[in-house]
Amino acid sequence: MSLVTSDARKPVRGPELMRLLLTNEFGLLLLIVVFGALFYSVSSGFLSSFNLNSMSRAAAINVMIGFSMMAVIATGGLSLAVGAIGVCSAMVCGWLLQEIGLPWPYALVAAIATGAALGAINGMIEVKTRLHSFIVTLATMSLFFGIMIFLTQAQTYRGIPASFVSFGRMKVMGLSATLGPTLVVAVALIVLYNFTRVGKEMLAAGAKPQAAMLSGVRVGRMIVLAHAISGGLAAIAALLLVARNGAAIPSMAGQQGQDWLLIAFLGPVLGGAVLTGGKISVVGAFLGAVLVTVLSNGLLLMQIGDFWLQATLGATLLLAVLLDLARRKFLERRAQ
Amino acid sequence: MSKIAFETRSVSKFFPGVKALQGVSMQMRGGSIHALLGENGAGKSTLIKLITGVYRPDEGQLFAGAEPVNFTRPHDAIAAGVGVVHQERNLIPRFSVAENMALSQLADRTIAPIDYAALNEQAEPWLDMLGLDVEPATQVSRLSVAQMQMVEIAKALSQQTRVLLLDEPTASLTPMESKALFDVLHRLRDDGVSMLFVSHKLEEVKEICDTVSVLRDGVNAGENIAMDNLERQDLIRLMIGREQNDAKPRHGRSGEQSVALELKDVSTSLGHKGINLEVKRHEIVGLYGLVGAGRTELAKAIMGAAAITEGEVLRDGQTVEIDNPTDALHGHRIGYVSENRKDEGLILEHSVLENAGITIWRKSANRLGWLTGASVKKRTVPFLEKLAVKTPSLNQTVGNLSGGNQQKIAMAKWLAAGVKVLIVDEPTVGIDVKSKAYLHELLHELANDGTAVLLITSDLPEMISLADRILVMDEFVIKGDVKNTGDYKTMSQSVMEHIHHTEDELRRAKAS
Repeated sequence: MSLVTSDARKPVRGPELMRLLLTNEFGLLLLIVVFGALFYSVSSGFLSSFNLNSMSRAAAINVMIGFSMMAVIATGGLSLAVGAIGVCSAMVCGWLLQEIGLPWPYALVAAIATGAALGAINGMIEVKTRLHSFIVTLATMSLFFGIMIFLTQAQTYRGIPASFVSFGRMKVMGLSATLGPTLVVAVALIVLYNFTRVGKEMLAAGAKPQAAMLSGVRVGRMIVLAHAISGGLAAIAALLLVARNGAAIPSMAGQQGQDWLLIAFLGPVLGGAVLTGGKISVVGAFLGAVLVTVLSNGLLLMQIGDFWLQATLGATLLLAVLLDLARRKFLERRAQ
Repeated sequence: MSKIAFETRSVSKFFPGVKALQGVSMQMRGGSIHALLGENGAGKSTLIKLITGVYRPDEGQLFAGAEPVNFTRPHDAIAAGVGVVHQERNLIPRFSVAENMALSQLADRTIAPIDYAALNEQAEPWLDMLGLDVEPATQVSRLSVAQMQMVEIAKALSQQTRVLLLDEPTASLTPMESKALFDVLHRLRDDGVSMLFVSHKLEEVKEICDTVSVLRDGVNAGENIAMDNLERQDLIRLMIGREQNDAKPRHGRSGEQSVALELKDVSTSLGHKGINLEVKRHEIVGLYGLVGAGRTELAKAIMGAAAITEGEVLRDGQTVEIDNPTDALHGHRIGYVSENRKDEGLILEHSVLENAGITIWRKSANRLGWLTGASVKKRTVPFLEKLAVKTPSLNQTVGNLSGGNQQKIAMAKWLAAGVKVLIVDEPTVGIDVKSKAYLHELLHELANDGTAVLLITSDLPEMISLADRILVMDEFVIKGDVKNTGDYKTMSQSVMEHIHHTEDELRRAKAS
């Protein structure tokens, strides 16, 4: 291309391979392999078929939770309500199956629509009031969860069809079948952010709302849409959890769904998303969530006491991020 | 001729893969103002960093007076009497004027209590000397940009500076404020201070500088030349290495053209009152005014980013209601190149292609919203090429490009969108001469091809070389409509007459 007149005074670029090694995604892959090998050397049960299955099932859900947060981070916001929205959607699904007797495909669609609608409410409040998404979703987290508890009387719906539950227990090539929907969503998100107008507009709105607005992007709409996507993905994550548990339980994501928050942020942030918006990586968020899953699974396997698990997990994650930073600095210096 | 105050002798600075400076020599004399010129990326900033001790030269020697000096840190340069007023403000907004001025001294005393009365007292004489009428205890964030500039100069002088480097000090000043600054610089010159003046505005360089050195691609293109012997053309030739033809004034081709954009008695929520304005096809209408006159705000109201409360907007003779910029762009084909490239014009952390394509994503996507890189490239690359955007690749982050290239991309996205009415706000602030000339030619060409252009600029020479008519705006009201004769002297006079009373008012406000 004639336009590309490389500036001779700029430092010479490293070869393609070096650039690949410098990516965040490669770093995560490396860490997954390193920790995997470490855990395997300590306990050979780490790669047993039973553990692989349960690890992949956990990963499928964790990745989806991370995607749900990532959709909002893309526009420069965050959502503390992902857990609450997920649980609410799952309870809607359980109610439709058990009380109404709806065929399960319809119930799934209704649950995902519920998640998207609740997310859209967050987005609309944020756009209309111009409050930060932190405050908005802090409020709606309690609100959504509270209403759900009131309506369901905190009961568990166990009338989940066998075909749906068996999907949650199915294995494909040694891995959980629940990875299937997660992979499909991952591909869909890659397409969304790279090959569609709305995806690109969401990122532009997140990076610099004022600039995007003056270039004809409807920033408010994009924020509502991002929250709706986030809600829909949270619903899918919760449905995978229902398939695993064989029941829709109000406490399946902890009090007000807060148990999801750590993993929701860790996936995308480890994956290289910028919290101020405008830059995300679908593959990175995927690998980030897988890394966290590997770490928690491995630590459990090493029979570290429950008290120590959380602390060790936190410390290990901090270490992992610092190592990644050091690796990139080192490679960058060599590339010059 | 007075004694040499500071000298660089054949200094070079290398970065990995880049020769930033090579064998650059320059002499600054006491009681004189030395201009340092060069395009963006010519090495001016690097040279300033060498003189102020931020970098150390890889070759060559610095001299303060006749003494060879080796600065290992900025502190050494300050101790040798070298002070600098940076392009980007280096004051702490929440600190007082006096605190900012004494910051480096305060930093030396870690836990001793600060005597504020003494600080204020020490600051006073310097502020007086510059004729700056602010209390030393005033918080810096409450000052105007021009006042902050003065505080920076006061800060530098209070550190016993005899060599003062000014890096684009007038970039964000109004003509009036610049004049006040020049008065101060003249006074300092008479006091024997040696100054280095960096600016892209050649008119003011010619006006206040005594000698000039020019850098081109990191080497001397001119060394200590007396300004008296040079014309504007000569300076440009030294900077870019070839002749540069100034854009000629346009000649009214627009007489019988249809009106593309018209405002009738428009008032806005931002405070405009009774604005009447029309821009014809093939016409460039200038909107001149001082900073804060309401020009940018009017542009935003036209784009639908602020509400129009009264009056009518007509596009090609039809009354239209523009609710938001999306509407302006896709519904009415109006575009706006923002004066604020960093926050409004571009998304610096995104790539060249994403920035150039943002206005045409909607158009390029198929019915399912699917959008490929190829379809965006097809519509943007021709314009990036036409504007001679220099980038290693389309995936390059825009923030890494030079200011001139960034501005070209900010312009290219509207050309790609094929807008019929283009509002251009301060298109050449802070960009080098070559890019500036390019953009001027481009605006001419656009108008010749039928686009209606509304040009907002505070650069009067630019306005006169581009606009067919000049509207003068002041305090959110249009004060006059002047036909451009192309003659700088008479034009600047008649334009200034329309806003003259403001100067009086400002003076009164300052006095009170």
